[in-house]
Amino acid sequence: MRPVAAASDPTRHFFQPIIICLTVASVALTLFVIWISLHDLSLMRAGREKFVGLDNYIRFLGDPRAMAALWRTVLFTVLATVIEIALGLAVVLFLDRDFAMKRLVRTLLLVPIIMTPVVVGLTWRFLFDPATGMANYLLSLVGIAQVDWLGSPRIALFSVLVADIWQWTPFVILLVMAALESAPTDPLNAARVDGAREWQVTWYVLLPMLRRALAIVALIRAIDSIKAFDLFYIMTRGGPALSTETLNYYGYIVAFTNFDISYALAIAIILTVFTNVALLTMYSVLFPKTGDR
Amino acid sequence: MTRRALFYVGLALLLLAVLFPLYWVVVTSFKTTRDAFAIPPVWLFSPTLENYRTVFANRGFLNAFANSFIVSILSSALAVAVGSVAAYGLAQQPAELRRAREKFILSLRIAPALLFVIPMYYLATRIGALNKHWLLIAAYAFVNVPFAISLLLTFFDDIPKELRDAARVDGAREFSIFWHVYLPAARGGIIATLILCVLFTWNEFFVALVLTGRDTQTLPVSITSFLTFQGIQWGALTAAATLIMLPMIVLGVLVQGQVVRGMTLGSVKG
Repeated sequence: MRPVAAASDPTRHFFQPIIICLTVASVALTLFVIWISLHDLSLMRAGREKFVGLDNYIRFLGDPRAMAALWRTVLFTVLATVIEIALGLAVVLFLDRDFAMKRLVRTLLLVPIIMTPVVVGLTWRFLFDPATGMANYLLSLVGIAQVDWLGSPRIALFSVLVADIWQWTPFVILLVMAALESAPTDPLNAARVDGAREWQVTWYVLLPMLRRALAIVALIRAIDSIKAFDLFYIMTRGGPALSTETLNYYGYIVAFTNFDISYALAIAIILTVFTNVALLTMYSVLFPKTGDR
Repeated sequence: MTRRALFYVGLALLLLAVLFPLYWVVVTSFKTTRDAFAIPPVWLFSPTLENYRTVFANRGFLNAFANSFIVSILSSALAVAVGSVAAYGLAQQPAELRRAREKFILSLRIAPALLFVIPMYYLATRIGALNKHWLLIAAYAFVNVPFAISLLLTFFDDIPKELRDAARVDGAREFSIFWHVYLPAARGGIIATLILCVLFTWNEFFVALVLTGRDTQTLPVSITSFLTFQGIQWGALTAAATLIMLPMIVLGVLVQGQVVRGMTLGSVKG
């Protein structure tokens, strides 16, 4: 609060109070969350909380349901991110030419992204209905036996994955398309003049130029997939036989079905740490050079 | 020539894959129960508004519509108001200080919602705020403020610095520069930010699922009630789904350029 600094730069007063509020809120929240996670606090047994130290974290390590959920989260995140990036990139390369309705196509690609996720879940549940759904009808047209999309523990996770891919691949397409359009065309033409084949131009010139955009989209998709909730709640509620229960979903069940607040917060903290570790790992893999942002 | 034809076939398949699920839901909402479940599917049918009548007769759903409307408008307006003040201040800072603050703001969006929703729920049960609109508005404003700041910063950056310098030479104080120069100049960006916040809040499910009570349910939560009563009423459900998402799709398409930009910053969401 030195008056000189304040007088010379009054714009600080515009953001500092808000940054301070956000900082205080997040620090207080973090401390509160850690404090509760070190206790045994349940809404079912109000007023009987006691300090238990790291018990909730130790319990997590020995909880087979939590471990399975963690593994499922990893599987879902890796598959969703890899498939969405690969499929999105393929579509972008496919659309990389001038055609009449390009603007219209781009607008239509927005539709899945801005659709309410709950409605997306319902839509796919409707399509995946075993008896009357469109998915099995299409399969029957080509003579493939019916599939119990959401009722079979071996398949359900992949059915949810399909819905996630449907909603978010367009997001990858739009962002990578934007990056491609702002990229310089000179290196591509230079390579062509040098006699490179089209696939060589794509692989050695175009992809390296899109690397940064692809990496950022991959990071965003990975974070969102780790936290995915709506589709799971609407399509499977973690079932059948817990086969689609991710860590985020398990945390929700522990908190709001079992009312075991402390253990749920321990799970939430582990999920946050896990997200950040995954993020930093991905970041250092995708941006190996230091100081690249 | 064949290459060209193949391209358009591929394009058609892509659009079919993207749009068919949406089309199927909207079309089913105009079908009778018999047509909706016919196998093979009925492509041509006489449309009926029966499902919409069912939805509009549902008191809870209308109530949820009002809740969604109030909560998304108020929390977004609050977030944009706070966000634009902060973004104006941040936009004037030297790059180094600014980058550090921006990083902090973005980091707020990485934590899973579970982390702050459980303590909020816990505190809300203690002070009896679970069935109050302000709780939801506050929660969404808290989620939307960092997003609004980071998006508005990009819009404020597009405003030429000369405008501010000229106003300062004329002796204007910072707040009147913000009010009379920046806000009008960034009007389009501010409206886009507001729309994106509304879009996000309108679609959000997890926070609403936990923090709403019977009187404050928003649309995404309310629609799940169609899932439990005597099996699934697909007819009414598809009508309700259409009513929920169509306004947002129209809104989103109207600000399409900003949507992608905002999603990049915003999809690291709470």
